[in-house]
Amino acid sequence: MSKVKKAKQRNTAMWVMLSPYLILLIGLGILPVIMAVLEIPQKARNNREGGWGVVIKVIQDFRLIPAVEHILGFVLIFVPLTIVFVIAMALMLDLNNSKWKKYARVAYIVPASVSGGVAVLVWYIIFEPHFSPFKPFLRLFGIKRSDQIWQTSHLVWIFAIMAFFTIAGNWILIQYGSLQSISGEVIEAARIDGCSAFQIAMRIKLPLIKKYIIYMAVLVFAGGLQLFVEPQLLDTGVFNGISHVWSLDQLSYDFAFTNGEFGSASALSILLLIPSLLGALVVIFKTDMFEDEETAARKERKMAKKALEAMKAGN
Amino acid sequence: MIETQTLKKKSNLKGENPFAMSLVNGWLIIFAVISVVPMIWLVLAPTKTDPQLSSSNPLAVGSLSGYWHAWHHLNFFDDGVVAQWAWNSVWYTAMIVVIATITASLAGFVLSASRIRFKRVFLISTLIFMLVPPMALVVPVFVLMDKLNLTDNPWSVILVSSLYPFGAFLSYIYYSTTIPKELYESARLDGCNDFRLFTKIALPLSTPLLSLLAFFAFIGNWGNYFLPYILLPSPEHYTLPIGLGFLFVSTPALNPGVGATSVPVYKPEIALAGVLVAVPIMLVFMFSQKRLVRGMLAGSIKE
Repeated sequence: MSKVKKAKQRNTAMWVMLSPYLILLIGLGILPVIMAVLEIPQKARNNREGGWGVVIKVIQDFRLIPAVEHILGFVLIFVPLTIVFVIAMALMLDLNNSKWKKYARVAYIVPASVSGGVAVLVWYIIFEPHFSPFKPFLRLFGIKRSDQIWQTSHLVWIFAIMAFFTIAGNWILIQYGSLQSISGEVIEAARIDGCSAFQIAMRIKLPLIKKYIIYMAVLVFAGGLQLFVEPQLLDTGVFNGISHVWSLDQLSYDFAFTNGEFGSASALSILLLIPSLLGALVVIFKTDMFEDEETAARKERKMAKKALEAMKAGN
Repeated sequence: MIETQTLKKKSNLKGENPFAMSLVNGWLIIFAVISVVPMIWLVLAPTKTDPQLSSSNPLAVGSLSGYWHAWHHLNFFDDGVVAQWAWNSVWYTAMIVVIATITASLAGFVLSASRIRFKRVFLISTLIFMLVPPMALVVPVFVLMDKLNLTDNPWSVILVSSLYPFGAFLSYIYYSTTIPKELYESARLDGCNDFRLFTKIALPLSTPLLSLLAFFAFIGNWGNYFLPYILLPSPEHYTLPIGLGFLFVSTPALNPGVGATSVPVYKPEIALAGVLVAVPIMLVFMFSQKRLVRGMLAGSIKE
């Protein structure tokens, strides 16, 4: 058999093995996005003539601004809280050499299983002074009745706390893992140069895990925009003070399912997709998270050296 | 891939400032306690009766038979539909884990071992879909499924959830870093075709990868809410998380507006449904911590 023929045959087999994934990727990943874009200008009840004007209608919908405000309020609390807390916890864990550390890590991951409906149930109980396992805590803040907590204006905080506990533990372990990638020699050198533990954390460890922090920030932010389950479930009678379309995903859902306005629903979901997409592109092209090995290793050494030099200059 | 560090970085905070170190340790322990208490409450709740839940200490242990009673009561709800939800959760998730793991491992192998056209395009689109939250695609997917008349069919959820770009990327990294390209070349010279390259060389070395893929597929889908909620409107197709939400609406456990019903579903019963959703995920997480960290940092930490 000629070489060309062999190579061709080889590629056929490779394509056959790739095709199940490729069919899913194209058919259920790329195609739905294209279909959603094409759906926007279709004729619908609220868009009798058809056309792209419906995007303006969505933007001018009186429910959009409140939903944007809610989500922005939520994200502004949830994202910085999560990032700062997670990094601080990971750095503290990194300082600790005790044997019990591994049990603490197991404990941190437990709340990850409390999400969606379970989160609504558990937090309903925690915020109810009658039932709460954190009763003394609530008393400390002067909370004796649950309606002191369940107020419409507190929802951004309530959802931020729920979301924070669902993901914080995972990220603490992941960032603790990223800290383990820092070479011991760098830390040792800094210590010999007289750096305190705090200085090492702030000026060596943090800069060296910067890309993981960006990676986390992008994923946490993109996930935060897509708040649906918790507000939707609170709206089942658990808390009457919540709007039916509290979050943007709920509004998109409402367009499609209550009113059958698929064009508006698609428009809003595509608008929401854009920030996530930009975030993804930033991580892919502006950080070296997914770079090939040699470049990454070279950059890492350079950064470590730079950080160390900066330290020396600082002293 | 991360390996445990050979060079131990000993803390110098202990020597520098023992007081600060004990503050740090104290906080690490306090946060561990805060993390586990809600779960302990949840697991203990079905052992108690509804009045006991408000009268006794929140962390007191009731009677183990409470679990049996709560399950019995839950099964009064809509002629035992809860058992159907549990079974749906099990079989949907199992199918997703199997399909996602197989398609992703094959894709990762091809992307790392072959020189097919558009390889870079596939890799970049995989990365994009991996970083965009799946929730962002739910409404577009619904529009497509509605056109194809596939709503209210469990396979729509199974197939959509089986698209596993994160898994494809993980296996691409795994195969690129564990199997040297020369190995494929020499196998080819010995007359191995590409299918056998996978079954004879890659697959036998894939056990850690497959467990990693199955782990992430499981944790990503067992508790999934938005997609099945939208695609599967009939109660007999619900999964446990959707069913749990349905119980919120239709029983007086958390919703006093419902009033007294003949169905004895109150807080212990709801908590049992919560336990069924949360505990499998919790156990998998606890036993797979290393997989979580290794998977999320794959491709970025090189040894």
